[in-house]
Order: sequence, then C-alpha cells, then structure tokens
Amino acid sequence: MDELTREFLIESQEGLDRMERCLTELEERPQDAALIGDIFRSVHTIKGTTGFLGFKRLEKLAHSGENLLGLLREGKLTADRPTITGLLQLLDGLRSILKSIEAQDNEGAGEDAALIACLEELQVPAKAQVKHAVRLRAGAEAAQAPAGFVSRTQEGESSAPEAKPLPVLRPHSAPLPGAAATNAPDRVEELKTPVAATIQKAQAEAENDSAKPRGPGTGPAAGTAAESTLRVDVALLNRMMNLVGELVLTRNQVLQATSADPNMRLLSRRLDMVTADLRESVMKARMQPVSNIFSKMPRIVRDLSQSLGRRVRLQVEGQETELDKSLLEAIKDPLTHAVRNSLDHGIELPDVRTANGKDPEGTLKLRASHEGSHVVIEISDDGAGVAVEKVRQKAIERGLITQERAAQLPERELLQLIFLPGFSTAAAVTNVSGRGVGMDVVRTNVEKIGGKVEIDSRAGKGTTLRMRIPLTLAIIPALIVRSVGQSFALPQGALLELVHIPPEQAAASIEWIEGAPLYRLRGKLLPLVFLDRLLMPGGEQKAVNERDNFIAVLNADGRQFGLVVDGLADPEEIVVKPLSAVLKEIGLYSGATVLGNADLALILDPGSIALKAGVMMSADEESASAAEAEIDAEGTSSLEYLLVEAAGRQAAVPLADVLRIEQLPLSRVEYIGYRAVLNFEGQLLPVEDSGGVLVAAEGNPEAKIIVVVCREGNRQVGIAVSHVLDVAAGGDLFEAGTSQRTGGVTLLKNRVTGVVDLGSVTPLPVEDGAQEVVGEFAEAIQ
Amino acid sequence: MSTAGMALRRKDKSAATLAEMCSVRLGETLFGVPITHILEIVGSAHPQPVPLAPSFVGGLVHYRGDVLTTVSLRQLLDLPPRVGSQDILVLESSGGCFGLLVDSVGEVLTVSSADYEPNPSTLDERRRGLFAGAYKLEKSLLVMLDPERLDPMRLGQGKAA
Repeated sequence: MDELTREFLIESQEGLDRMERCLTELEERPQDAALIGDIFRSVHTIKGTTGFLGFKRLEKLAHSGENLLGLLREGKLTADRPTITGLLQLLDGLRSILKSIEAQDNEGAGEDAALIACLEELQVPAKAQVKHAVRLRAGAEAAQAPAGFVSRTQEGESSAPEAKPLPVLRPHSAPLPGAAATNAPDRVEELKTPVAATIQKAQAEAENDSAKPRGPGTGPAAGTAAESTLRVDVALLNRMMNLVGELVLTRNQVLQATSADPNMRLLSRRLDMVTADLRESVMKARMQPVSNIFSKMPRIVRDLSQSLGRRVRLQVEGQETELDKSLLEAIKDPLTHAVRNSLDHGIELPDVRTANGKDPEGTLKLRASHEGSHVVIEISDDGAGVAVEKVRQKAIERGLITQERAAQLPERELLQLIFLPGFSTAAAVTNVSGRGVGMDVVRTNVEKIGGKVEIDSRAGKGTTLRMRIPLTLAIIPALIVRSVGQSFALPQGALLELVHIPPEQAAASIEWIEGAPLYRLRGKLLPLVFLDRLLMPGGEQKAVNERDNFIAVLNADGRQFGLVVDGLADPEEIVVKPLSAVLKEIGLYSGATVLGNADLALILDPGSIALKAGVMMSADEESASAAEAEIDAEGTSSLEYLLVEAAGRQAAVPLADVLRIEQLPLSRVEYIGYRAVLNFEGQLLPVEDSGGVLVAAEGNPEAKIIVVVCREGNRQVGIAVSHVLDVAAGGDLFEAGTSQRTGGVTLLKNRVTGVVDLGSVTPLPVEDGAQEVVGEFAEAIQ
Repeated sequence: MSTAGMALRRKDKSAATLAEMCSVRLGETLFGVPITHILEIVGSAHPQPVPLAPSFVGGLVHYRGDVLTTVSLRQLLDLPPRVGSQDILVLESSGGCFGLLVDSVGEVLTVSSADYEPNPSTLDERRRGLFAGAYKLEKSLLVMLDPERLDPMRLGQGKAA
C-alpha cells in the first residue's frame, strides 16, 4: 500500500468517526446546519480523494450519499429518522470498503446497489434539484486543471455573497465577510486534492460559515494546530516507553548507590527529576481522551434502543479523561458489552417504566474520572436492576454454586456471580445478549490489563458497573516484601493495609481453626496466607512466634486476605517485565522486575494467590458498605480517623485523607530554612512537626521517624508522628450550652482527641517551578 | 538431531568441514555449543531463584533490560547444585532467548565433521534427548548440546507430556 493510500485511510476513518458523532447529534438537533455541513464535508472529502486514487466503488457510494447530504444542507430535506438511518448505513458501507482496502488493498467485491437505491429514494422529494446539482458539478470537474486552484478558491469566496439571499441559514449575516476570510487557510488546506475543489464545496463552506459565524481567531488557530501535531507510530511510542522504563530502573539504582555520597546527591536528584519528567511526557504522548471510545456509544445506544424498543437518553461525563492508548483499546469491547447489557437487561420497555412510575425514557450514564492512579469508568442505568433472587436461582441451576452456599452468600457477593463464565439471567437469548458469554468476558478483559470490575445494583433502581483501569501498564507502584530470603513485589493496587505482629504477640494474635490461620482485624476474622508456606510447601518454616510477621491485607477481586511475609522493604515504582511461558504457568507471578538495588523480584499476583490458597470472597465489604450507607442516610459526621501519637499526645487524622504511612530514617528529612521537607522521587513533601517529633529525635543518626502522608486539597502534606496507634470511628462532640457540633476535635475510643488541621500546613514556596526549590535546597544543604 | 550436527554429517561424505564450538565445563564433562547460537556470555551471575518453578529452571537474570529465564544444566543432568557463581550462555532458540547456566565457559574449539559421532545407544533416554552427539577431541570428548532441545518452553512441555 502506498503512502498516499495509507494517509487517505487514516483521514477517512477520522472523518467517518466525526460523521458518526455528528449524525447521532443531528438526530437530536435536525436543524443544526453546522452539523450537516460537517457531515457533508466528511463524505465529500472521501469522495474527492477516492476519485483521485481510483477507488470507483467507494466513489460511487460516497457520491450518492453526498447528493442526499447536499439536499439536507440546502434545507430541501429535513434530517428525519429514516434519513439518518440511511446515512448511518452509508457510514457502515463506507467503513467496510475502507476496511477491505486496508486489508487487501482493493475495494472488495461487495455490491452497494441496494444501499445506493435506498439513499436515492431518500432524496425523492427533490429529484429534479439533484440532477441540476450533478450537472453543475460535472461541469466543474471537467474544468479541473492544476492552474485552476487559486481562481477556484476565489470563486468560492465570491460565491459566498450569492448565498446571502437564504435568510434561514444565516441568522447573523454581518460577520459573513470576516468569517469567510478567516477561514481561508482551512479551505486552502482542503483544496489540496484537486478534485476536492468544486464550486459546490466552496458554496457549502460559505453557507456553513454564514450559518455559524466563528470567532475571528478560530480559523488560523485551527491551521496552526494541524501544523504542531504529528502522527507517530505506536510501535515507536512503545519502544520509548520501554526505554524510559529502563531509565527508571537505572535511576533507582543510581539513587540507592549515591544516597551516601553528598557530592552525587545533587546530580542524582537532577537525574531523578529529569527521569520523572521524561516518563511523564512519554506517558502523556500515549494518552488519549476516553471520548475516543465514548463517542462510539451514541450510535450503539441509538441502534440498540431502536431495535429493542427502548427509549434511552445517553449522558456522558468526563470525556476529557485521558488513558493510555493500549488500555483504551482494551476496554473498548468490555465497555460496548456493558452498554449493550444495560440496554437489554437493565432499562425496561417504556410502558413498563411508566407502569412503575418512572420516566418512560431511561437514562444511561457513562462517566470517566480519575481516582488516584486509576481511571474509573462507570456505566450506570436507571433500569430494573439485577434481581438478586434470580441470580441466586440461576447460579444454582447452572451448578455454579451449591444450594447451601447460595443461601449463605450476602447480596453483594451474589451479584458478583454474574461475572462467572456461562452466566446470564436473560429469559431468552436475543441477538444483543443472553448467550451467557457476557460479563465474564468483561471481567477477563478488564483484569487482563490490571483493572477491576465491580457491580452494584438495586432492584428497581438501576445498575452501576464500575471499571477501575490503571493509568498505565508498564510502570506500577508496588510494595517490596521479603519472604524465603527473596524480594517480591506486591502491587499497591491490591494492598489495603499492613499489620505488624512482633514475635512475642504472634501466639496471641494469630488464631487457628483446624490448621487455618486467622487474624482478628478490627474485630473481623481475616484468613491468612503464609507466603513462605505457599512458595516452599515442603520447606522448613519458623513458627510465628520466632519471627516478625507482617500481614499485607490484600483485596483481590473481592477476596480479602492477609498475606504474611517476613519483612517489608520500601515501596518502589517498578517496571513490569514479562516472564517466560514456563514461569507464567506457575500462576503466582504476573511478571518480574529489577529493583533499585539491582536485585530481581518476582511480582506477586494477589488474585492467583487467593485462588491457590482457596480464599473465598469475603462478606466484609458488604457490611462495611452497608454501614457506610447507614451513615450517609443519617447524615452524621461519624468519620474514621487514624489515631496517632506525637510526643506523648494523641491526635487524629481523618482516615479519608491519609494516603500512606512512611517510616524512614531521620536523615531523609531535609530543611528549607526552618521548613522540614521530604524528597520523594523529585516531589517535595512539607512535613508538619507540631508535636516536635523531629526535634526530639534530632542528633540521633539511627532514629527513624514515621510520617503520615495526607491529601490536603490538591497537595500532599506529611505529619511527623512518633507512633501510629489505631483506626477508629470518631464520635460527635457538642459544645455545652449551645449544643453545636464542635470542630477540630472528635471522640475517639471515648477520649476527646484533637483533629490535625491539614489546611494549616503552610504550602511550599513554588513561584518559579520546582527547580528553584531544588536550588534553595542545595543552598540549605551546603 | 541437532541442526548443526545434521548439517555437518551430511557434508561428511564429500569433505570434512570445520565448525566452531564454544566449550563449556560442567562437572567432569566437556560440553560444546555451536557459537552461532550464542548471543552473549555473561560471567559470574547469581540468578534469582523462582519458587515453585520446574526444577530445571535455574532462576532469573537481568539481561539487557529484559528478565531472562535460565536453564540449569546441572539440574537437567541430576548433578548436585554448585555453590557460588556460575556462567551463563545466552542462547537463541526458535522460542526466544534463554540462559544456560554452566559451571564455567572455556575456549572456542574448532572441530571437524570427520570427528563427529552420534549419541551412543547406551546413553539413557533423557540424556539422549538432551545431547546431540559428540566430537572426538584428542584427549577427550566434546558432548554437543542443542539449544533447541534446551529451550525452557520445550523442556516444560516435555515434562507435562
């Protein structure tokens, strides 16, 4: 395939994507001349270029579509439903030919006569007009000659005043000359292909401009945008990503190797920052807005709701949220599937809805948003919801679970059963869904890219499906743990919390039921999995009371368990390296990585560990979320707090604001003037030391301090504490006399405890960017 | 049959051809690997063991930005594990790259196809599957190893089957 054809394919596909978006919008606003103009241009450009490249079938089809669109644009037809259906069919027709050109370099042998006839039928009311238009264009094309470019452009502009007598299309006639002039660059660009330069086109533009006057700046701005962007091969980006991954590894090693050398400190810090910036830029280059896949949904919703007799309004939120291109590709199918499911199983028929006192038009909401290092995509409908009883019956019927087990399972867990292979509650198999190959595919696809799917449903109210997608595949934050004398990486995504049980407490804290170890985590039994026993089944293990036990509380696909490891190392951002097939077969590891100290570490897969150890889904979250719901309902402020101790005094930090807890040597704390700060991979964290923990530890080189890293608005702040005691729910306190709720204090474990005011931590000086800060930093060190 | 060995044997009838083999020491035996299959020799490596992996897996090593699975020749031949570092031959097979853990890598020997003999029939079946014949050197034998047969993928399948 030659370069020209390839470019044509890419451009045409983009044009058709735009056309699809416009068409679904046009259905809602059939009078919008700008939309029609857009659609017309997409088809017109394809037609023009195909003639040039000699794709006859494509040209013929595009031509008949163009005729119809021409009539729409001139206001001789209105964009009613059959017309839009016809245009959507045209779109599919054009797409399939393009696909065939891409695959086999020819247009394929298909026959478009039926579609063309259908398109022609749609333009019946103004047949005579069409003939006229065709003749006009034929004349224009006959006059094609390279020398004709400029004059034709002028002709186009001069024809603009001719369009003036059409009052309907031009609500603001005044800006016309200006608009036509500012749009000249656009037009010249479109005239690049000689065939595209017809008088009709110029008129189209002129009319379009007059119908929707643009601001004087838009034209030239669009021109420069085209010049400042560049098409890049995805393979090249992938390679860049790999190299940056390597650089991150090297940086980690350099940082560890040079941390003791004061001369290297500044250099390595600079390397650290540049690497972080570079990584971010490369990752950004791969980012695409989710609107790329969301924009396909209006069409699917339209087609499906018509064929299923539903009335559905689609609401889209957070279109601009960005996601790595490969991830975006990967969630396209699951998303489509979820939307289909919502329409088929979720939203009821209009009369059923009316009978239930709902708006006959159902609402399907697509929402994308950032949540930490994840992007959350929500598909929610206000339909019938999932009937939990039906799920229970079906699951027993299909032999997916036993009757006794089904009776025990709480609702939330029963809901998750719909993700099992071979599960479908649809009464009949339709061509949309019901074949039972649905939700499990959604889950497998999302989990394949390290994401998670959750479903939440209330009978009669609707269903929400949430997909949590990691921002990137290549680099993940992980906690390095030690077991069997080796390091392993545990993805942070699955990590809920860490519990340390020193040897002397182990016998009392870890309880056993017939050889199954359990730990009471805030009153609930948490099944434990000993990593060393799992990895070395026959090996010699130290008894729990002869060693330190660190419990990493993990949540893998709704299964909660504690993984007991021998030791914890620092959290690190690791670069995931694939494993050879032989090692993948073991099933416990999702990859390997090179750590900062140049050691290799296997990446543990929490889901597989849970499966291997036979951990079942826990009912824990159900009760937790139920409790939360209750709190919401009552509207009280009973928040959970992290109870900390700083220099002998207890204080509370709102748990929702706590990002993580770091234990680090005092030497890591540096000072800008009197402000204590921590440097996390180039990011400065101000450390608040109201309790005087840092001062107390001063002068002791061995001292370790604990810093609670919290979120405060958009920034992060650290609170230096001497101990982290517990997590507890705070009770309200009221002022005597006024009975007003007091701020800044809460009742924790029956003690009045002050709440740390995160907002009072003074921000760092950041006038001239981070580099300045490092400059100050260097001075402060020297 | 090793591709290298086969090619050499076929030409045997007309004239003896020469080939270069990298010699590898493991315990008492001298092994040879055709240098055309060797990408790189990594000295004194400490592979990271992989718990629960098949026994022939010698562990993982970091190799040019990738994580390489190694095959322990000692494990394959039921020899006791060696204490201390080992050398790694990075080999290329149809399934990709892998490392072969050996005690030490020696010099490159030029052998003649005239000195080639296939595996003796007295060799047990497992070793017959791993070796690709031998070259008669002046003082000893050079037992040929075929990278294709040592590929961890293939060893893994063989075990499963």
